[in-house]
Amino acid sequence: MKNLIAIVGTNSDESTNRQLLKYIAKHFQEEANIELMEIRELPFFNKPDNYEVLPEIQELADKIERADGVIISTPEYDHSVPASLLNALAWLSYKTFPFVDKPVMIVGASYGTLGSSRAQPHLRQILDSPELRARTMPSSEFLLGHSLEAFDEEGNLVDPEKVSELEHIFNEFMIFIDLMKQLPTDRVGHKMSAEKFSWEKLK
Amino acid sequence: MKLVGLVGSNAEYSYNRMLLEFISKEFTDLFDFELLEIDQLPLFNQSDDQTQSEPVQSISRKILAADGVIIATPEHNRTIPPALKSAIEWLSYKIHPMEDKPVLVMGASYYDQGTSRSQLHLRQILESPGVGAYTFPGNEFLLGEVKDAFDNNGMIKDQKTVAFLRNLLLKFIRFVEVIASFEEVDQESLPAEDLNATGSIETTIEGIDKDAEDWVEQAAEKVEAVEGDTYVKLDRGILTVDQLNSFLNSMPMELTYADSNNQFLYYNHHKDGEDMLADRYPRQVGSPLASCHPERTYNNVEWVIQQLRSGKLDVFKIHVPTHGPNKYVVHNYAAMKDKDGNYVGINEYVLDLKPTIDWYLKQTNQELVGGPEDSVDAVSGATEKSESGDTDEVDGVSGASMSS
Repeated sequence: MKNLIAIVGTNSDESTNRQLLKYIAKHFQEEANIELMEIRELPFFNKPDNYEVLPEIQELADKIERADGVIISTPEYDHSVPASLLNALAWLSYKTFPFVDKPVMIVGASYGTLGSSRAQPHLRQILDSPELRARTMPSSEFLLGHSLEAFDEEGNLVDPEKVSELEHIFNEFMIFIDLMKQLPTDRVGHKMSAEKFSWEKLK
Repeated sequence: MKLVGLVGSNAEYSYNRMLLEFISKEFTDLFDFELLEIDQLPLFNQSDDQTQSEPVQSISRKILAADGVIIATPEHNRTIPPALKSAIEWLSYKIHPMEDKPVLVMGASYYDQGTSRSQLHLRQILESPGVGAYTFPGNEFLLGEVKDAFDNNGMIKDQKTVAFLRNLLLKFIRFVEVIASFEEVDQESLPAEDLNATGSIETTIEGIDKDAEDWVEQAAEKVEAVEGDTYVKLDRGILTVDQLNSFLNSMPMELTYADSNNQFLYYNHHKDGEDMLADRYPRQVGSPLASCHPERTYNNVEWVIQQLRSGKLDVFKIHVPTHGPNKYVVHNYAAMKDKDGNYVGINEYVLDLKPTIDWYLKQTNQELVGGPEDSVDAVSGATEKSESGDTDEVDGVSGASMSS
């Protein structure tokens, strides 16, 4: 059985993205072990010099490192990814590079109609950057609009169409993880190039 | 002119800070300039609202007092740094100091890309409704290979770059002035509209609940309205009420009458609401305009009525793009005037222009540029305000369209 990490893309106490990931963890418990990961307690990133990876960052990095894949659920603030998620990704691409070649699936929930439709493409571009270098599953999108009304009291998704959409994309992600293993990937080399990648050294 | 420069980084050493410092030193002849730092702001958390804290308030006050803002952003993981995003989130959550503020985006980076991707993200972020800035379009300034760009005094070495930047800033100053005059027009205050129709005008039929489903029947009884084959004298002609109905119902458009008291009095009812381009229902007639529009649209409705009542506009047109590519539905709000030119209400007529355009093209043996397949695009390109992308907004001015 695959092990997945599900990152709650916000530091907010109340979050329908957290609800969505809890539902995913429960609904797919036969298919994968899914552990929720919070980013609330991380310090504010400011690109410190002479930096040793902080223990709390290392712990998250190790979990991602061990996982077969990562699901990120992002809210949308101001048409983009929340600062708190950017903050987590900044830590997780600075002196430690757990996302390199890691299969990632993006989902998102929002109170309005659009379901984080602008934040998700931003997140894809971010995950594609040289120091994250994740394998984000292409041609897939799960947008949960009107998220305050989307769950019943047990935390289950109410709309059966949304459930089957989610099942479809999740099953694809399971296959995608296996497919990514087929790539003649030089993960060690990729990680080294992410580590070596330094704006300072480019010139 | 007073501009502020927002340093988009909380790092101790930042080339973007250096770029803004250069602007403040080099272009003293153009504007007053103050640097704003974001490194004292906490990471945004909506569960721990610190909008009222001094660091947030201080930046907000300075932005509010400025005529325009320059943001210099680094690029981190192909987007803007968490610190800058967090600052913008504080400035768009409970307070909105950047709303309607002219903003110039620039950035400096180590590599030759010069923050090319983060600037695009920043533009999209500034565009969002919570921020609502007027970002200066086009005119990118990407300072790449920044390690070699400055001399020891923090001045940009390449004179061509300095000249380019001066030219850009001169254009931005004009942009700030244009936006200022644009906002003045917008803010010229017109009297508020009573969308609940609480007042009354000479023709208001008193004593009947305007929201009653049978308002028409009750009101007709009260004023002994004529109907059927009774003759009505018009300017110019005589018709029976039945003839008048046939005539109005044969109009190739949906007609709606709202009087100058903002009460919905009539529509040419010959289709069910579901089959109309802008749905109306018999029970809605008589209602104040507030009752037949969702609350979120009140501002838009009020704006349109203000323009018509004040005479600033004779007609306001808006394309409603929610009908698919085979229709081109336009809502027209025309001011109705009496003989003396006084405003008496709105004639909202809704029609699909596509058949007319198709007929004209066929009759004259013409095609729209780009060929028939592009015809819809070509048409929408020619309108004043073709697409807001947000159907809520569009609905905002469409008539009595709240369905049951």
